[in-house]
Amino acid sequence: MLEVKSLYVSYGGVQALTNVSVHVKKGEFVSLIGSNGAGKTTLLNSIMNIVSKQKGSALFDGKDVTKKTTSNIVADGMALVPEGRRVFANMSVHENLEMGGFKRPASEVKQKLAEVTEMFPVLGERASQMAGMLSGGEQQMLAIARALMTNPRILLMDEPSMGLAPLVIKEVYEKLKVLASTGLTILLVEQNASVALKYAQRGYVLENGRIIMQGKASELLGDNEVKRAYLGKEYKEKWER
Amino acid sequence: MQFLYSGLTSGSIYGLVALGFNIIYNTTGIINFAQGEFVMIGGMLIYTLFSVMGLPFPIAFFGAVGCAFLVGIVFERVFIRLTRIKNELNLITVTIAASIIIRDVAMHVWGRDSLPVKEFIPVFNIKMPGGVISSQSVLVILVSLAVAFGLNLFLKKSRYGKAMRASFDDPVAAETCGISVSTIRVMSFAVASLLGAVAGVIIAPIMFVTYDDGIMTGLKGFSAAILGGLGNFGAAIAGGLMLGIFESFSASVIPSGLKDAVAFLVILLILFVKPDGLFGKKKVHRV
Repeated sequence: MLEVKSLYVSYGGVQALTNVSVHVKKGEFVSLIGSNGAGKTTLLNSIMNIVSKQKGSALFDGKDVTKKTTSNIVADGMALVPEGRRVFANMSVHENLEMGGFKRPASEVKQKLAEVTEMFPVLGERASQMAGMLSGGEQQMLAIARALMTNPRILLMDEPSMGLAPLVIKEVYEKLKVLASTGLTILLVEQNASVALKYAQRGYVLENGRIIMQGKASELLGDNEVKRAYLGKEYKEKWER
Repeated sequence: MQFLYSGLTSGSIYGLVALGFNIIYNTTGIINFAQGEFVMIGGMLIYTLFSVMGLPFPIAFFGAVGCAFLVGIVFERVFIRLTRIKNELNLITVTIAASIIIRDVAMHVWGRDSLPVKEFIPVFNIKMPGGVISSQSVLVILVSLAVAFGLNLFLKKSRYGKAMRASFDDPVAAETCGISVSTIRVMSFAVASLLGAVAGVIIAPIMFVTYDDGIMTGLKGFSAAILGGLGNFGAAIAGGLMLGIFESFSASVIPSGLKDAVAFLVILLILFVKPDGLFGKKKVHRV
């Protein structure tokens, strides 16, 4: 469904992504892990053409989207939940959701609103509150719900666990699991490797702007190198095994 | 009291101009120094359509305001869109250049003389406590309030108004909702230009229209926006009214030739003492 082919991106002379190729099949849940500054956000932003690429392409249903404007890519059925949630803080929860449905016909917006508030009841309860007043977890839910309002076929998630308590992270991921089970395709980038790989089917590891590993999520979780670099397990533990 | 009434009249105009500054500031982060030019264009167009061509006032009004709306669109498409590197400094420079171009074109079209615009409502004085207020001043104040109210309604209730607010909040997130921020930017220039033109039309019969009116009006409106606090619509109106009243009262104690200096004294004071404006919130950024 989504195929990123040898993507190169640079920021003011610094090479952020080098020859990155990633693909996501229909209905898959794929996680891409990497440490701070590895280029995870850059990857998602260049797929959405929020930052522009140097070389390479991102095919969505076989068509290169990197030349389209972000809003048109969204209209094609690809949604992004941006890093740090970025809800419209000075607008109500309800208005935030309405904005997600900006390009959709009114009848569909109504139906989608009902769907997302059923999935995230807290958003229904706080509909008239300013989004900036919500807690971090609630804002993350709102950001996801807002993205769902665009009626996407594929959802790109940027660091959903950022700044959230472990219990809330679990809650967010459980929602993603439900979404994936309804057939939504998900590409997620995360620093928190353990939770990201636990919920995904396949995974990639991004380091210094290059894909250094890929495979089934369960295999990556068991990989020594991944364990050392991303799961915080030290050599000592490996020696003693 | 008389000072209060005349202050309210000019203050309303400053408020409208300040609103225009705010709209563009919110969507692009820049100060559009051609905002005053939009006011001048409104005044010039009403002169041409109403005083010269003799069209009925409502038609002339909508004609003038409609043209200004288009001028706003063209302004954004030409001056802002074509600027390759859109940082604040470049864009502000571009608006200054654009304002000079507009002024020069206006000078060639309408000449250097001050042009009188016929009154479009019957002129009479209304007795008020402590003084009189002319029907024209009342019109200016009422129209300004109505426009401010209408703008508020537009931003709160309409689909595009909400999209504008979303873009004020976070342009990137707005894009990810499928809102084309480039379209919103054009709209903000069109709306700002429209507001400016409304101000230009309603003030035209009170003051003559001259091709270089834009400079002073623009800078006064800018002072009002700074006084209230940039980025806040209610504060823009309040800042405008306060500046108008302040200016008017100061005329009673200092020579009226120095009246224009008062606005800039206010800017300086605000920037020295309370840089976020009287009603501005401290800008807090989460990191």
